[in-house]
Amino acid sequence: MTMTSWKRLAPVALAGVVFASLPLPVAAQTPIKIGASMSVTGTYAKPGTYQKQGYDVCIDELNAKGGILGRKVELVIYDDQSTPATAVRLYEKLITEDKVDAVMGPYSSAVSEAVANVTEKYKKVMVAPLAATTSIFKKGRKYIFMVITPAENYLDGLIDMAAKRGLKTVAIIHEDTLFPKASAAGTVEAAKKKGMQVVLQEAYPKGNTDFSALLVKIKAANPDVIAAGTYFDDAVAITRQMKELNVNPKMFGLTVGGDLPEFYDLLKQNAEYVYGSTQWDESLPYPGQKEFLAAYKAKFKGQEPSYHTAAGYAGCLIYAEAVKKAGSLDADKVRDQLLKMEIKTAFGDYKVEPDGFQIAHKMVMLQWQDGKRIVVWPDDLANGKIRYPTPEWGKR
Amino acid sequence: MGVLITPSMIGQVVISGLLAGSLYAMVALGLGLIFGVMRVLNVAHGPLLMMGAYTTFWLFQWIGLNPYLSLLVSMPLLFLVGIALQRFLVRRVVDAPELSSLLLTFGVSIALVNLAQLAFTSDLRSVEYLTGSFVVGPFALSKPRLATCAFAIAITVGAFVFLRSTRLGKAIRAVSQSREVAQVCGIDVQRIHLITFGLGSALAAAGGSLVAVMVAIQPEMGQVYTFKSFLVIVLGGAGNYPGALLGGLLLGLVEQMASLFLTSQVNEAVAYVLLVVVLLIRPTGLLKGRV
Repeated sequence: MTMTSWKRLAPVALAGVVFASLPLPVAAQTPIKIGASMSVTGTYAKPGTYQKQGYDVCIDELNAKGGILGRKVELVIYDDQSTPATAVRLYEKLITEDKVDAVMGPYSSAVSEAVANVTEKYKKVMVAPLAATTSIFKKGRKYIFMVITPAENYLDGLIDMAAKRGLKTVAIIHEDTLFPKASAAGTVEAAKKKGMQVVLQEAYPKGNTDFSALLVKIKAANPDVIAAGTYFDDAVAITRQMKELNVNPKMFGLTVGGDLPEFYDLLKQNAEYVYGSTQWDESLPYPGQKEFLAAYKAKFKGQEPSYHTAAGYAGCLIYAEAVKKAGSLDADKVRDQLLKMEIKTAFGDYKVEPDGFQIAHKMVMLQWQDGKRIVVWPDDLANGKIRYPTPEWGKR
Repeated sequence: MGVLITPSMIGQVVISGLLAGSLYAMVALGLGLIFGVMRVLNVAHGPLLMMGAYTTFWLFQWIGLNPYLSLLVSMPLLFLVGIALQRFLVRRVVDAPELSSLLLTFGVSIALVNLAQLAFTSDLRSVEYLTGSFVVGPFALSKPRLATCAFAIAITVGAFVFLRSTRLGKAIRAVSQSREVAQVCGIDVQRIHLITFGLGSALAAAGGSLVAVMVAIQPEMGQVYTFKSFLVIVLGGAGNYPGALLGGLLLGLVEQMASLFLTSQVNEAVAYVLLVVVLLIRPTGLLKGRV
């Protein structure tokens, strides 16, 4: 560039500098940057992508309503490849290099647990919508907040329905990994509280496909209820083998797997009468549900949201609400709001204990009826009647 | 919280064990045959089984073919796949140190599983054809597992008869006993190798087709059968074909008993402890020597 062109440009540049330093109208302020890492690839790619979609819908909605504190909101997301170590590095980068104004949680308990150490270190509030493990919130952390129901409470509904019908005994089986183990332990507690007797409790290894001997033991114990802490493959295998060994409890409920459409695709009429638990269902009459579904379906054509989407969406809205109430992005002020807030979103209730542990959000129990998932518990959210008792296998 | 174990429970578990064991025996016979003839431990045996399972699944899905009839497709199909593997790959490592054949078939195994993941995705699939059970007194006899057992026994017996009585079967045994002598006697050893690998793969495919009716399938379903088959042929005596039958039934029983008296978390451990004990007492397997 020659001297002359510099001279010609100088007034323009000067005007630019002056203009930039003037107080600006609200709309032109820098946007609020919210950072997160997400499992877009790797083992958690499927649920991670669902959760990211939830964040996207939430950000669009916030901006359509004028942003937060009069500023637009912008999402900065990196792929953590489903690896806790990568996520830790990314949150360090988000906070120290990108200087984001706020962070949201990643997918899964494992990754949330790892990055919580970073967000605590820099005193950043983190609403962690997909962290379901209780221990994360019991380590004296101050700035992490839970949204979904913990693993221990997945089968509360099954036990409650059983106790109400006068059932006395329950057998509890589960895969011997973190989440199913915690859900089984919670189910034992729930059964004891309701005065039910746990007649058998046994774990099986991950990847197990033959449940004959375990089911023979259950058959001998003859429980009214079988509660299983499962993922998906095992949920399918157990159901099939129950039929093969003619095991006929009055109720049979599963933690994960029983709620998925694929469960019915694989088992057909043998899935009938089986209970599954879920964090969320699109039929639930929560406030904002219709708007959320409409926005989702407009943005992601031909796709269906999962509970991960709804939880991500709600977590982001909850954070935004707390900032609005606090009138500031200051971590301690937002934290105070998150601790005392009680709010109901498209995902259901939110209220936490002083350690950020979720106590208001409810699981719902589904039952497969004529190939459809019917919400049968709790009573105030049910959209159909429970089919009880379960008939023998030959009559389903 | 334990359950009192009654004789009828033991009876039920023995039934489950024998039903599972007959399948192990048939699948292991395929692995044993290849090992006996070529001294190649085929790590891709399980993935070949998986391919048999998908053959059955797709035929059931597309044209509603009876999964048991699909044995007539899956076995010949995998026979050809086996021959191709032998012709183009395994042949090169037959006389190489054992590590070469392990590495080669391990590579084939990974490739097959990944191809299946690409082509079929990792989603679970199932053939809902036969479910439920016959209730006989205190026992429930699972229909799909009974059918699996019947077909497995029929195919295993068929394979024995073939090996004992036919000219080709005798030639296979001859090569297994001494390749040099067989060659001197005018047996085309390369051809026998091709046929043996094809037969072994066809037995794996039969296993896959039968498994598909019992449990939901996915691309990684096969590996566990590689390990079980390995266990069975070492238990029974490597290269001893009736030993595979004994080993298979024994493995099925031990797994089920361990799950009944202890928990299903330890049944694999118990099976391998049994293997160590057998190797300590009878290093050549329960039935030693070759047929």
